[in-house]
Amino acid sequence: MRTILSLAAASAILAGSVAYAHHSYAATYDVTHEIKLEGRIVQFVYRNPHSFVHVATNDEKGASQRWAVEWSGTTQLNKAGVDKESLKVGDVVVITARPSRVAGEYRALMLTLKRPSDGFTWGSQGQQVD
Amino acid sequence: MLRASVVGLLGAALLIVPVAAQPPRPANPPDIAGEWTLTNNEEDTTAQPPLGDYLGIPFNAAGRLRSDTTAESIWGTPEYQCRPHSAPHQWRGLGGARILKEQDPLTRDVKAYHIQFMRSLDWPVFMDGRPHPPAWAPHTWTGFSTGQWTGNTLKITTTHLKDGYLKRGGPQTSDMFTMTDYLTRHGDVLTIVTYVDDPVYMEEPYVESTTYTIDLTSNVAMETCNGTAFAENGGTDRHHVPHFLPGQNTALTEWLKKDDWIPVEPTRGGAVTLYPEYHATMNGTSNAAALKVPMSKTSVDGAKSIAEQSPRDGQVHLLPVQGNIYMLIADGTNVTVSMGADGVMLVNTGAAAMSEKVLGAVNQLANQSVTPPVPNSCFGASCPGAWGWASPYMNSIISSPAPPRPIRYIVNTSSAPEHVGGNEKIASAGFFPRGASFGAAVESIGRHASIFAHENVQNRMSSANAPAASQPTDTFFDEFQKLPEYFNGEAVILYSAPTANTDGDSFVYFRHSEVIAAGNLLSSVSYPIIDVAKGGSLQGVIDGLNKILDIAVAEYRGQGGTWVVPGRGRLSDTADVASYRNMLTMIRDRVKDSIAKGMTLAQVKASRPTMDFDPRFGSTTGAWTTDMFVEAVYKSLQERK
Repeated sequence: MRTILSLAAASAILAGSVAYAHHSYAATYDVTHEIKLEGRIVQFVYRNPHSFVHVATNDEKGASQRWAVEWSGTTQLNKAGVDKESLKVGDVVVITARPSRVAGEYRALMLTLKRPSDGFTWGSQGQQVD
Repeated sequence: MLRASVVGLLGAALLIVPVAAQPPRPANPPDIAGEWTLTNNEEDTTAQPPLGDYLGIPFNAAGRLRSDTTAESIWGTPEYQCRPHSAPHQWRGLGGARILKEQDPLTRDVKAYHIQFMRSLDWPVFMDGRPHPPAWAPHTWTGFSTGQWTGNTLKITTTHLKDGYLKRGGPQTSDMFTMTDYLTRHGDVLTIVTYVDDPVYMEEPYVESTTYTIDLTSNVAMETCNGTAFAENGGTDRHHVPHFLPGQNTALTEWLKKDDWIPVEPTRGGAVTLYPEYHATMNGTSNAAALKVPMSKTSVDGAKSIAEQSPRDGQVHLLPVQGNIYMLIADGTNVTVSMGADGVMLVNTGAAAMSEKVLGAVNQLANQSVTPPVPNSCFGASCPGAWGWASPYMNSIISSPAPPRPIRYIVNTSSAPEHVGGNEKIASAGFFPRGASFGAAVESIGRHASIFAHENVQNRMSSANAPAASQPTDTFFDEFQKLPEYFNGEAVILYSAPTANTDGDSFVYFRHSEVIAAGNLLSSVSYPIIDVAKGGSLQGVIDGLNKILDIAVAEYRGQGGTWVVPGRGRLSDTADVASYRNMLTMIRDRVKDSIAKGMTLAQVKASRPTMDFDPRFGSTTGAWTTDMFVEAVYKSLQERK
């Protein structure tokens, strides 16, 4: 029951805090596709209007690529329990995300983030970028 | 800084614009000041149409293509990350609106309204009858607005707007549109009817209305932007420009899978789709091309408005820029002037036929700069700074003022005739310090201003047998060249832009004034002139613009800050340079794609790879036509294969 109430409360908070991005997510990202990124955080930009997690990954040819994964602004993240100390450079994370509509861009919209080392997660319980 | 610049611009405008008549005193208009909450409009309250939904937008073919090929992730480029919403979208953005009154404390007339939204800059609407700035003044996100009451309705006319979008996520505007808002208060309701008149991308003005309700308890928030200006689009290329090649944006009809009752054709926009007559196309009794509708006409002459940014009127116009720097608009070519205690430096000298008038303008400016009225702040011979028998006040009254400081340097960013034409006459009017007893004895020393340029400028001028006195006296060959010492209190650095318009182009950075003279790399009135035979290339121009963007810094929310004087056209900032760079990158990729497909030059020209930019920058007549530009692009890209 406590879990259900917490989720309901979180949903209410998120619903009440909806503030549409200054750019359009639907126009920027392909919402019909999902990608998975596994790599090391090289930068965590906790800021407004949108935060970003930069992840270094290896592509299929083994070359290192720097991905910029767009996340919510600080107000929304803070309400979801994420602050500027939540992620550190060097953390290994697994991210699922929506890819950019423009082919060849290393840009994506955060769906879920998991840090296997301690089980930290975001997005798996209904949170979404807004 | 922007405020100071605007004040400067207005000062310049007063030099050339007839003094405005006194505005009529307002006849007790309604009070529109307060906090307002967005109530409704013709669309859903998010005002976020699906990608590819141009219903109700009177696009022409160019506007449609521009919108189809512009990617929303353009927001991720460093220059656009902190830009506010474009002006036409502000009334539809979330967060409400605040309207403030700025009143004359004596008469209590409203001098200006200030309108603010969550994602906007302050939007001043001047009510004091002042004129709009000249066409060569900068464009901003908010533009320049004046207002006038007619009965209960406030009419706001806005010019000098940057390019942007009508709505989030797609429909684009050029930077040549004017916006007219009509605000009418009915009790607690405020109705705003907005006309967006874009002669570049629309067949007729776009009209929308929005309703607000007064809300005494609301408080318009301000969305901060503390971006670090990294490339949000990922990867390591900070100059990446996201876009779609024509025909390759497959997302434009995604939304019609759900709303499958809507035919595709009207979703592409166009004036005829806005009129009742269009129904005839639904039952097959007519087709859109054959329809006659009572289309409204644009009130903006696009070609004339563009040309006015760089008037070929045989005159020299002055625009104070920032710090030591002034911009002279000399019969269609810009001359950048540094004016100060050390003297005068010119970046380029204009066409030969204009040199007398350019020199006259420089001398007038020099006289004004070095002999301002001296306020009397001290009496007696012991005053600080006194030199002579009395106070500074007595010196300024009794003795004659010192002559203006001389023209010491000329920098040529190119060997183009319109930039070096005045070299000989203007250089000979100046002098370089002769070094007292060292150089004074040698007749030829110090008789002219020094002329700096890349060595290929001299090579070109020498090959063309240009008069010796017009050729550079100091050249450089490296990536950049610093003047050996401060001039007018600041560092001046010349940057080479190899293989840009030619093999000898450069731009000049005034490091304390924060002004860049871009030469032919940038123009707000034409495509860049690229002389492939002289080593020019499209990629070289793009590289040069990217170098400018690496140096320049916006003042706030992606505008102002480092000002960029183009070779031709209006004063620009980082967002303007980025917009021009974006366009050239899109054209480059289109032509590269065509070359990769094996298309000939004739086929590429027929495909019109510049179609969506032609109404803004193209030309079918004159010395640099669209046809010549496309040919230069094709040849320079083919050489790089």
